[in-house]
Amino acid sequence: MRYFKLPDLGEGLPEAEILEWNVKEGDEVKVDQILLSVETAKAIIEVPSPQDGTIAHLFGSPGDTIHTGEPLLEFAGESEQDTGTVVGELKQQATADNGGGEQFFIGASPSSRQYRDRQVSPAARALARRLDIDLGTVPQRDGRVTAQEVELAAERAQRRGPFEPLRGVRKQMARTLAAAWEQVVAVTLHDDADIEHWPAGTDITLRLIDSLAYACRHEPALNAWFDGEHLAIRRHRQLDLGVAVDTEQGLFVPVLRNVGERSAEDLRAGLDRLRKDVRRRSIPPAEMLGATLTLSNFGMFGGRYATPTVVPPQVAILGAGRIRTEAVVFEGVIQARRRLPLSLTFDHRAATGAEAAHFMQLVVTRLQETTGSDPAT
Amino acid sequence: MMSEPICLLEAVNLALARALEDDPEVILFGEDIGRNGGVFRATDGLAQRFGAHRVADTPLAENMIAGTAVGMATQGMRPVAEIQFMGFIFPALEQLICHAARLRHRTRGRLSCPMVLRAPYGGGIHAPEHHSESTEALLAHIPGLRVLIPSSPARAYGLLLGAIRSDDPVIFLEPKRIYRAGRTRVEDNGQALPIDRCFTLREGADLTLIGYGAMIPECLAAAELLAERGIDCEVIDVAALNPIDYDTLLASVSKTGRAVIVHEAPGKGGVGADISALLGEQLWGRLRAPVIRVTGLDTVMPYYRNEQHYLPGVSDILDAVDKSLEAGRDEILQATGSG
Amino acid sequence: MRETVFKTEIGLTRYLGVDGEPLGELPTWSHEPEPLTGYYRWMVLARQFDQKAIALQRTGQMGTYASSLGAEAIDVVTGHLMTRDDVLVPYYRDHALQMIRGTPMRDILLYWGGDERGNAGPAMGRDLPNAIPIGTQTLHAAGVAAALKYRHQPHAVVCLCGDGATSKGDFAETLNLAGVWHLPLVMIVNNNQWAISVPRHLQCAAPTLAQKAVAAGIPAEQVDGNDPIALHEVIEHALSRARAGKGPSLVEALSYRLSDHTTADDAGRYRTPEQLREAWQRDPLKRLRQYLYNRGYWDESRERQCLDDAQQQVQRAVDEYLSTPPEPVESLFDYLYAERPEQLREQVEMARVRGGGA
Repeated sequence: MRYFKLPDLGEGLPEAEILEWNVKEGDEVKVDQILLSVETAKAIIEVPSPQDGTIAHLFGSPGDTIHTGEPLLEFAGESEQDTGTVVGELKQQATADNGGGEQFFIGASPSSRQYRDRQVSPAARALARRLDIDLGTVPQRDGRVTAQEVELAAERAQRRGPFEPLRGVRKQMARTLAAAWEQVVAVTLHDDADIEHWPAGTDITLRLIDSLAYACRHEPALNAWFDGEHLAIRRHRQLDLGVAVDTEQGLFVPVLRNVGERSAEDLRAGLDRLRKDVRRRSIPPAEMLGATLTLSNFGMFGGRYATPTVVPPQVAILGAGRIRTEAVVFEGVIQARRRLPLSLTFDHRAATGAEAAHFMQLVVTRLQETTGSDPAT
Repeated sequence: MMSEPICLLEAVNLALARALEDDPEVILFGEDIGRNGGVFRATDGLAQRFGAHRVADTPLAENMIAGTAVGMATQGMRPVAEIQFMGFIFPALEQLICHAARLRHRTRGRLSCPMVLRAPYGGGIHAPEHHSESTEALLAHIPGLRVLIPSSPARAYGLLLGAIRSDDPVIFLEPKRIYRAGRTRVEDNGQALPIDRCFTLREGADLTLIGYGAMIPECLAAAELLAERGIDCEVIDVAALNPIDYDTLLASVSKTGRAVIVHEAPGKGGVGADISALLGEQLWGRLRAPVIRVTGLDTVMPYYRNEQHYLPGVSDILDAVDKSLEAGRDEILQATGSG
Repeated sequence: MRETVFKTEIGLTRYLGVDGEPLGELPTWSHEPEPLTGYYRWMVLARQFDQKAIALQRTGQMGTYASSLGAEAIDVVTGHLMTRDDVLVPYYRDHALQMIRGTPMRDILLYWGGDERGNAGPAMGRDLPNAIPIGTQTLHAAGVAAALKYRHQPHAVVCLCGDGATSKGDFAETLNLAGVWHLPLVMIVNNNQWAISVPRHLQCAAPTLAQKAVAAGIPAEQVDGNDPIALHEVIEHALSRARAGKGPSLVEALSYRLSDHTTADDAGRYRTPEQLREAWQRDPLKRLRQYLYNRGYWDESRERQCLDDAQQQVQRAVDEYLSTPPEPVESLFDYLYAERPEQLREQVEMARVRGGGA
């Protein structure tokens, strides 16, 4: 037979719910092999195959209700059999003296089924308008949004209080990062720098900035802008580093210009000034544009590794976690040593894993040097 | 048993016999159904086989037939009563509408009315006056009643069994014009068909033909002719006129964008009007043409000499399909990018 | 030549005169305090309920109501003589019958108060609910009787209707079928002389309504509907016949509708105060009370106590009724079919939303 229809599973039960398919399209099955399990009003029943064959098409997914006599699946390569029972594909006329069995579908034809409307009921729409509920926030049930769901959503909203719209920096952050997430093919490498030998009072941020300038000089692939729409890349000679600064109002990323050409003192001064301006909200917008790479030293607050988000058109961001003293194997012996966890996310559309790994290696090596030199070297 | 192919009438007989066999609470009664086996032979042989107390002749009173069926059903029996022609069902309307349809509702489920009332209906057999009525819309309009119209032997068998086993009151209208029109093999396996679904008889992508009863063979014949012209029709037998399986109709017309509804009864206030309104309301943006109805004239059913003017046929269906295809909305939809 | 091929007669049974005095020899059972004292108590309760129901309607707390004033004896006697397994097919004045068979008074008030749950109480068993289209219930009774007979159950169906209903085709079709199919049906016609404003003599030209049964070939009796002893005798006989498989009978109980047709009617428009006053002479409560007094089975203090008890019972029922909230809107959709059709789900939602939610 071509179509296997849901048999009467006993006592004239009119329908059953599909629980689980044991086969998939393309499978070859043998007679009596269990095809699926269904739940009727009375029991859970395993349905065996009526014949050997290859499954061409399954009708229905777990959770769907199928009536007795409706097609469950289609066997490949079969022609209609003259069973005289219902359901199948047909083009014959009922008035013809064909002496054969009738074939028809109960309900919609297979090609029509997908067109069953998934929709919002008029009642739900009316109620949502009256209760001022955003239909987009109401969950579907069986593919429909019902008035009942709207009522529940309204109750929930009342209990939990209304949504406060985001403003200003937070709103911008939400927008920017959502867009970034959608576009970037993000891959993150994690590593640690062994900084046991760092002298006391080392400026961590400056060392990180210095290591990034160093890495960009020797692996310029990550200091670039990528145009995802046109699939074009622009490599920068100059490193303009976005440095994440967290304030009460939210996250700001002012840009330290031309990091690779400046002395340590200059960078320090510049960084301090940026931070102060950010906190006083006196930083001009221009100072926040045009970063070619970003540093996020979140370790100031806590945390170890992250998967920081690359913001286009940049192709990389380095995250630094909290310095911790760990037991590590150093020169063959387990020691307690200070370590700086690093997370480098790069956009894999624009750079290869090898380039990123090389970049990370450079960062680690530079950080692990005893003293920071001027980035200019 | 699947031996000889049988016609719709014989399928009715087969289903009645199976029901009598399977459930001792099933009892048939009506005028001339016992010894005579019914004027169309629908109950042929049943009184002989199951006894006159189970296949009983009644005095001549249609209202009494319906009212007695109501009373029996309230006690949990499953009476299957026959009205000899739909043209004589009208005295019974009070019992059907005021009582059969309402019992469950007005007793909040304490009592129900699991009765079946069978009647041959429709024209095309050159019968005397009043014997060709097609007034199913009156009954399909009544909440609480179920109305079924089979269009083939297998569906007659399955739907009648479904009707008898249902706990709701069912009016089972048999399109007498196709009582003996085509023979197919029907297995006497006691399997009922669902009585709340349409049946898709032909799968197609270009246009949905929706009909019931004796119009189904006309629809299928039209679909064959249209296929030769490269127009692929989906043909749906409504079958259950109350409540109607709108989901199946909506799914099909969503796909094809075009619907032509065919029924013998007058168009005004008919079942087609209900379906058309619903399709229009819900599929407005997707329709490629207005929903078109092909129906009987809005006149008294004529005496048989003029029957052919009244009854819709294949050529009327083809005309309607042409009209649907020429509606021109395709260009608009394409131009606006929604086609 | 012409010969008489059929003759019949219709008998009228009476035992008590209007003042409660015996008209002749009384059946032995009626010498005892019971069941007659019990009949009287129930008739008092029925009348109390009836008066209260009218009052509720007049004060806007209930809808149109059909009073049973004057018909108490018919209902009370019939209710007592029916068994649990007999089936009742009432018309719309048989509140006392329903009460005796176990329907709480609150449910009866709910029904007339516009709530279908009044038809749904489990105590009603397989009895049919109040019937509004006139005479249609008689055919249902025939069907019920056919079911009893088919299943070989030794019970009877009691169907009640008014004098107006006997003009309806359904009535004739019922008697006809009952006769030819030999059904266990007791058809009680409460001939209270009025079909709204149409008096008995304009309803039918035959001298009795009972004789309509003759046309169907079934036995018929007239009985004084205000005389509990007569009613007991005649109805008991009819029920026994039916239960024993001896077939149907028709009982025409002669009574008087002492009230308006319903609370929406004003009988003063079509009958005179004299007519009404004269009819009150034949009041069944008055008659039975007098008989019991004369026999020493009743007295003033019992009368007072009985009225008090009845009033309290009725008030309790009224309080329950008034504190019962209406059903939610889903109830409109829940009982159309055995299972609510999917096709209606949009409408149910809309109804809920329109009504301001669940």
